[in-house]
Amino acid sequence: MHKYWWSLTVLILLVQPAVLAQSKKKPAYGTVKIAFTNTVGASPLVLHDSTYSNAWNEQYTVTKFKYYISNIILHGSRMAKAGNSYFLINQADSNSHTLSIRMPAGTYNSIRFLPGVDSSRNCSGAQTGALDPLNDMFWTWNSGYVMQKLEGFSTQSNFRNHKIEYHIGGYKGEHHVLRPVELAFEDNAKLVVKQGYTSTIYIRANLDKIWQGPYTLKIADTPLCTSPGAMAKSIAGNFAGIFSITGIINPAD
Amino acid sequence: MRKTYCIILLISASFIITAFIGQQHPLPTTLNLDIPKGWPKPAKNIFAANPLTEEGFQLGRKLFYDGRLSRDGTVSCASCHQQFAAFSMYDHDFGHGINDGHTNRNVPPIFNIAWMNELHWDGGINHIEVQPLAPITAPNEMGETIENILKKLKADAAYKRMFTAAFGDAQITSQRMLKALTQFTGSIISANSKYDKVKRGEAVFTASEEAGYRVYTAKCSHCHPEPLFTDNSYRSIGLGFNAALNDMGRMGITGDAADSLKFKVPSLRNVELTAPYMHDARFFTLTQVIQHYREKIDTAMATTDPLLKNRIAINEQERVDLLTFLHCLTDETLLRNKRFAPPAN
Repeated sequence: MHKYWWSLTVLILLVQPAVLAQSKKKPAYGTVKIAFTNTVGASPLVLHDSTYSNAWNEQYTVTKFKYYISNIILHGSRMAKAGNSYFLINQADSNSHTLSIRMPAGTYNSIRFLPGVDSSRNCSGAQTGALDPLNDMFWTWNSGYVMQKLEGFSTQSNFRNHKIEYHIGGYKGEHHVLRPVELAFEDNAKLVVKQGYTSTIYIRANLDKIWQGPYTLKIADTPLCTSPGAMAKSIAGNFAGIFSITGIINPAD
Repeated sequence: MRKTYCIILLISASFIITAFIGQQHPLPTTLNLDIPKGWPKPAKNIFAANPLTEEGFQLGRKLFYDGRLSRDGTVSCASCHQQFAAFSMYDHDFGHGINDGHTNRNVPPIFNIAWMNELHWDGGINHIEVQPLAPITAPNEMGETIENILKKLKADAAYKRMFTAAFGDAQITSQRMLKALTQFTGSIISANSKYDKVKRGEAVFTASEEAGYRVYTAKCSHCHPEPLFTDNSYRSIGLGFNAALNDMGRMGITGDAADSLKFKVPSLRNVELTAPYMHDARFFTLTQVIQHYREKIDTAMATTDPLLKNRIAINEQERVDLLTFLHCLTDETLLRNKRFAPPAN
């Protein structure tokens, strides 16, 4: 008799989780990693010690390069949005270069994200995590996030100590800098998300393109831009063009 | 036998009680914002994502009065927002910061700020929770970094206890600090002046006060409407450009020339206590202020409010009555409310 009870208990314990899992029918989720590599042209960006030359033959070094990535959406047979995710990519912190999100299993043709922080989160009060004011990406006198921060030095800069300083932000009215970026995957390299597996998207952020995009940005003319306005909006337009996909790694079949 | 039974029972009971106490932190005590009758809802429903509790309020109160929020420990929020001056800075034209730093603008009183969508004279602050970041980090005010403040708070046993009581665990973050400060400052309501008592049927105006109320209603209430006595809009009242301060007001935030020299309309509540007046503290008496509206408005400036293009006609009798009425907006209970006073420890 004792033996019976024992085996019955074991049976129930074994079967119950499976039954519960079945009844809940959770959608299958996989992990998507997005690895950003900041570069100048083809070479990885080096802070402080490398001197670069832009399209207008201006020489500069970079001491700080930080930007927000948020509102990540994958498009395929279905659209999937990463919930409540804000990331700060900081060149000085290699741990920040790869972000990780959970996405529903499926095959996707393109990725869309916002380089910056959406307007609603700009005026929702005290935030935490990547949006913590500790990260030095929040304007205290004119509330709002600095979406992108690029600092360095250039002999062509007429600002004090030849500094260059681009703090790009602004979330309201005609001067908002919110430009979502959409990047398509190659036909033969779509993104596949599988339950329990990790897929990786490699994205290059090429600083060289900040100087030459829809707007011609010359250090000699504009060594700094540190408040929302028409200039910030123009520079943000260039910034949106720095991203490109360099590779995809899907889980093996 | 019976004795042993009792002892065993007692021991097990004590175990159960100890386990119970050890297991859970008492939940913070929920508070309700006491919205005066007839008032609108607070802006952005500020406590929706920041549940108001007694423990959160008391933590905010301690932070508000703590000089350690400044770099050298000498300046707290309360240094420039004094309760006896309706949380403005008594008899000062500009705020005083560390190292004898001075602000560029007159310290605004902080009561009824739960009803403001934007804060500061230029409306540059888009949410009450992020406001403290401005004075805390400004080199001419508290000159401190959030990072340093968190270090100081984490090293303090009393704060560890109070953050735990307010938020359930001892984690001390900028977000929690700002939310606690909001619970304190957002709770400061001024709604018990003689005017309020008259409205509630608990007092009556004198003849002069009554006449002054009529002058106010006819000539001031458009921009300073009841019950808050401000519409929280940005307007230029033709003060002219103050070159010493180089302050363009709202335009500094929006970048729009149409906002040049516009400033937030301040509340008339407690106006008796908040001298000097205007963003640049140029007037020291209410009589000077009224004189400005009667005769000194620069009507030629492009952004001067259309309502003021002909200035405001106020005769001598009206001036006296208006002043009498304005004194009815002083809320003595706000000044003496012990809950808003410095904490005991």
